[in-house]
Amino acid sequence: MTSAEAPGPRDVALVAFAQTDHRRSTAESSEVELLMPVLHDVLAQTGLRTADIGFTCSGSSDYLAGRAFSFTLALDGVGAWPPISESHVEMDGAWALYEAWTKLLTEDADTALVYSYGKCSPGSVRDVLTRQLDPYYVAPLWPDAVALAALQAQALIDAGHTDERALAAIGARSRADATANPHAQLKGRVPQGEHVVRPLRTGDCPPVGDGAAAVILAAGERARRLCARPAWIRGIDHRTEAHSLGVRDLTDSPSTRLAAERAGAFERPVDIAELHAPFSSQEVVLRRALRLDDSVCVNPSGGALAANPVMAAGLIRIGEAAARIHRGTCDRALAHATSGPCLQQNLVAVLEGDPR
Amino acid sequence: MPEVLKAPLVVEFPFTRSLGPVQSAFLTGLRERVVLGVRTTDGRVLVPPVEYDPVTAEEIDELVEVAPTGTVTTWAWNPAPRRGQPLATPFAWVLVRLDGADTALLHALDAPGPDAVRTGMRVRVRWAAERSGAITDIACFAPYDGGPDRPTGHGRAFPDAVTGIVVPARLDYTYSPGRAQSDYIHALAERRTVGERCPSCRKVYVPPRGACPTCGIATAEQVEVGPRGTVTTFCIVNIKAKNLDVEVPYVYAHIALDGADLALHARIGGVPYDQVRMGLRVEPVWTEGARYPDHYRPTGEPDAAYETYKELL
Ligand SMILES: [Zn+2]
Repeated sequence: MTSAEAPGPRDVALVAFAQTDHRRSTAESSEVELLMPVLHDVLAQTGLRTADIGFTCSGSSDYLAGRAFSFTLALDGVGAWPPISESHVEMDGAWALYEAWTKLLTEDADTALVYSYGKCSPGSVRDVLTRQLDPYYVAPLWPDAVALAALQAQALIDAGHTDERALAAIGARSRADATANPHAQLKGRVPQGEHVVRPLRTGDCPPVGDGAAAVILAAGERARRLCARPAWIRGIDHRTEAHSLGVRDLTDSPSTRLAAERAGAFERPVDIAELHAPFSSQEVVLRRALRLDDSVCVNPSGGALAANPVMAAGLIRIGEAAARIHRGTCDRALAHATSGPCLQQNLVAVLEGDPR
Repeated sequence: MPEVLKAPLVVEFPFTRSLGPVQSAFLTGLRERVVLGVRTTDGRVLVPPVEYDPVTAEEIDELVEVAPTGTVTTWAWNPAPRRGQPLATPFAWVLVRLDGADTALLHALDAPGPDAVRTGMRVRVRWAAERSGAITDIACFAPYDGGPDRPTGHGRAFPDAVTGIVVPARLDYTYSPGRAQSDYIHALAERRTVGERCPSCRKVYVPPRGACPTCGIATAEQVEVGPRGTVTTFCIVNIKAKNLDVEVPYVYAHIALDGADLALHARIGGVPYDQVRMGLRVEPVWTEGARYPDHYRPTGEPDAAYETYKELL
């Protein structure tokens, strides 16, 4: 940038990404033991030490493992003493990344470490997720996560947007693509199974498992020094729907569309899209909202249907998209993360590599 | 590697929540077998009603009675009901737009099977026999063959309104403490206290959590510490905790075991509470069959000098 130009917002990029192998149970590890390898991995990729990191932000939920203040214990793995500049969101790590991105834009920091983890194995994640619902009218009925997704799936079927066969194909494609993903939990041919909550069958639902992920963000020239081909965040935005399920049109996702618009996703086509759709039916909603046709490769990693460590699965979508740019197999990618029942809240990021 | 430890863990709370005026009117209405909605500024009727317009965020409070009958807008068949759900036998989750409302309410539909359920079917509220002013005052919906039921004509708030709800919540877990803490607990069962040393800064952490919080790296080298240690700081507990059969006042202290670089905490016994002091030398007291020390008691050694433990407060 020359001095004649007005100072614009800084360019911020993902310069490193790591994730664990996602597994049905990691009972032999505490959260910090689960997390440490990915933290060390992203630091090693960039050659940074904890002391070099300007800002650290994490996303997790203590309800998953039933362990109060687990996020403060997880900080042991970062090396948080002497005190570091640090924050936490009780959301998917994608939202921690959003906070870190904002922090870098303010020029308070040049680098940020973002991580998240989900240990679903100690509890029943279907039931745990009921605790995020409206506490007056909905949570007392204990509608589990599969039930709510099934209501959305039936609405899509009634509207003619999909059917059980098309939903099964989404699951099958995801697990087939996941055979190329060494970290995926569920891959290859998986039986579609019985109805869990009709119309959703086992194959339409994500595997339950544990996992963690970490990324490093860096601004401007710093990013170029840390990574051969940084994944620049061209835009990122998140939006939410009305609180009550019965107020929403469950067949559509206006919040995803708006976030994508604000992130600049519709300005040019993308090569790939990593969508955080834990249920097959949610991919149908997202594809329509994001206007993704068959020319776009959706979820080459297998997506959340192949590995769904809750609270990390959204950050992993952004990391997977960035890793493809790092490797040079993709120039422009869309990454999406969701939170809450039936795609309640949605984040969209657009990532690009420098022209080759 | 020793076996992974596991234990059942129940997290259970009764959540006590106060209600806004619209929520209160709605839930009181259910108690009286009347369904009240709220009208938005653009004239739509929301059921269940909310305090603020979901589009404009304006405060809204105009109550409107709707019928206890309505139409299913989407459904999902639940073949295996889970704890806390409205029905114990297989049922359909439904979103129901009640006659007179513009939005849908989530609840359960009692139907013989999935073939008896479809979007667009007519349903009617089945009231719970005992009602307290809660969403569960609607026991469920039942299939219904007919037009809109007549409203009762009660379009206003009821007297003796409920002002809050108490919602029990319970989640069950199988807790595992992880590798480092499992090793610590296994050693304790043999009456040994085992910490772990950081390979970088050489500090010994007790109890170990698997990582050095200063260096951010894994600890693995086991180091037996204690059994004796030094009280670094303490407090006097004067309020008896529920389910605890220890008489108050008693002392709860930070204890730096010999060889440890982090203080653990435990109760001090075997000495009057007002004679406990910083620097007091203590040792663990084990009881038969226990998996951890019951408390620590004075060893009778001279007190430790402040310089020796000032970093371990
Ligand atoms: Zn250390």
